[in-house]
Amino acid sequence: MNIAYRNVRRRPVRTAVLLVLTALLSLAVCGGTLLVSGLQKGLGSLEARLGADIMVVPYEARTKSNLESIVLQGNPGYFYMDNSRYEKIRGLDGIGQISAQFYLASASSGCCSIPVQIIGFDPETDFTVLPWLKRSYDGNLQAGDIVVGNDLNAFPGDTLTFYGIDCHVAAKLDKTGTYYDSAVFTNIDTIQQLIGSSLDKGMNDFAGTDPQKVVSTVLINVAEGYSPEEVMNDINIHVKKVKAVQTKEMISGISRSLQGTSDVIGVLIAAVWVLGLVILLLAFTMSVNERKREFAVLRVIGASQGKLASIVMQEALLTGLCGSVLGTGLALVGMLGFRTAVSEQIGLPFLLPGAGQTALLAVMSILAVLLAGILAAAVCAYRISRVDTALILRGDNG
Amino acid sequence: MKKPTITDICLLLLSAALCLGSKLLFHACGPKEDGSWMSCHWAEQTVFLMSIGLTVVSVLRLFLSRPAKAGAALAMSVMSVATALIPGIAIRLCMMDTMRCHAVMRPAVLILCGLIAVAGVVDAILSRKEANA
Repeated sequence: MNIAYRNVRRRPVRTAVLLVLTALLSLAVCGGTLLVSGLQKGLGSLEARLGADIMVVPYEARTKSNLESIVLQGNPGYFYMDNSRYEKIRGLDGIGQISAQFYLASASSGCCSIPVQIIGFDPETDFTVLPWLKRSYDGNLQAGDIVVGNDLNAFPGDTLTFYGIDCHVAAKLDKTGTYYDSAVFTNIDTIQQLIGSSLDKGMNDFAGTDPQKVVSTVLINVAEGYSPEEVMNDINIHVKKVKAVQTKEMISGISRSLQGTSDVIGVLIAAVWVLGLVILLLAFTMSVNERKREFAVLRVIGASQGKLASIVMQEALLTGLCGSVLGTGLALVGMLGFRTAVSEQIGLPFLLPGAGQTALLAVMSILAVLLAGILAAAVCAYRISRVDTALILRGDNG
Repeated sequence: MKKPTITDICLLLLSAALCLGSKLLFHACGPKEDGSWMSCHWAEQTVFLMSIGLTVVSVLRLFLSRPAKAGAALAMSVMSVATALIPGIAIRLCMMDTMRCHAVMRPAVLILCGLIAVAGVVDAILSRKEANA
């Protein structure tokens, strides 16, 4: 190892080129895989979060507001329909579970210029928020209590003020990778107080409806023996001024975008790998060719063919290890440090794997690049172990 | 002035990157609609001032003797750790983790300060080895 180490140190430019190449390979494989798995995990989390077969919204929400931008991307907004429609839907056939939610976009709070989405739900009937909430809070929400998403810089015990009403933070949700992370959840009593306060401050008009008798969305799980499509059509036909949509249909667009993004990233990783491997092979071949005399001298002073091959392999191992650790480290720092910025840029649900999975991925990336470097070096090691010392030293090396 | 070492150049470049980047690349959130600033702006200003200090020290180091350079490198390590603690700990950032100060400024400051701290310690260790040799 001493000879290999000295060789690596003696040729800083060659070593730097090999380090950059191996770092690039591991950066591509580790960063790319983290990106793809983050997108896939984000979509899985979104599917689990939606948790309802059908979502019913006021008809104007489909046209005036972009429903997907509010429901899937979490852009703060609001739309309302009369409570009587909720009651009418509840009476239809095929309804298994049904629960209403209220959306309210907060005004700019004291510290920040960005408003947050406040979502009111009914703990008696809810089946979409509570499963997430139970992971971090097992009590009952009292009037004035709120649960904050993971991206909000507030913690249990803090007080946040919305529309002049002080709300007590009862819990903080686990990271979901979806718009839940930047939303605030509360029960019906609190949301009614907030709606009333927003009316008093002239920040909402609720389109002429009584704010005490409105809902924003109705979430439905269909009963056994009914298909979501059947129930959705029934609602769209029998309940006026509402639009029922299947949640799976809503996320199918995201699934397609995700698949496209994953494919592009996969192709780019493959291209970087092919290019990197070719350059790695060329670099090792050129390096060994220019050092033929050096290896011939080593042979003359007693180094075996195996020893020469071992020196080449050890050099590849050293540069491969340093380069892959550097590249993987860069990928981890970039993806973990700037995960929020990456997520914002992509505009899709994004949730990085846990620490264990990430560590495993990092180790796999390092091993993969090491293996690639050793394979490339093995070809050259085989060639150098077969050089004819006499021919090389005579200068007739073909 | 002796020929600068790799750690000298690293410390100078990293400090300069922190100084320029905190104003140009990874600055905090912009002003509110009413023109007032959020608290993250003051975190950015403090990081900027600290980074000016770091850059000045990293330039002055080039003209110092080897032992003094090592001392200055250690001082830079301590200063960079202090700078890393400014956004989010010494000065609160905005409410949402998705805002620029959380998503861009804080990780960039942490990474650059971490690198400066490591480079400073490495420089001090190398200087000690050189002195003992």
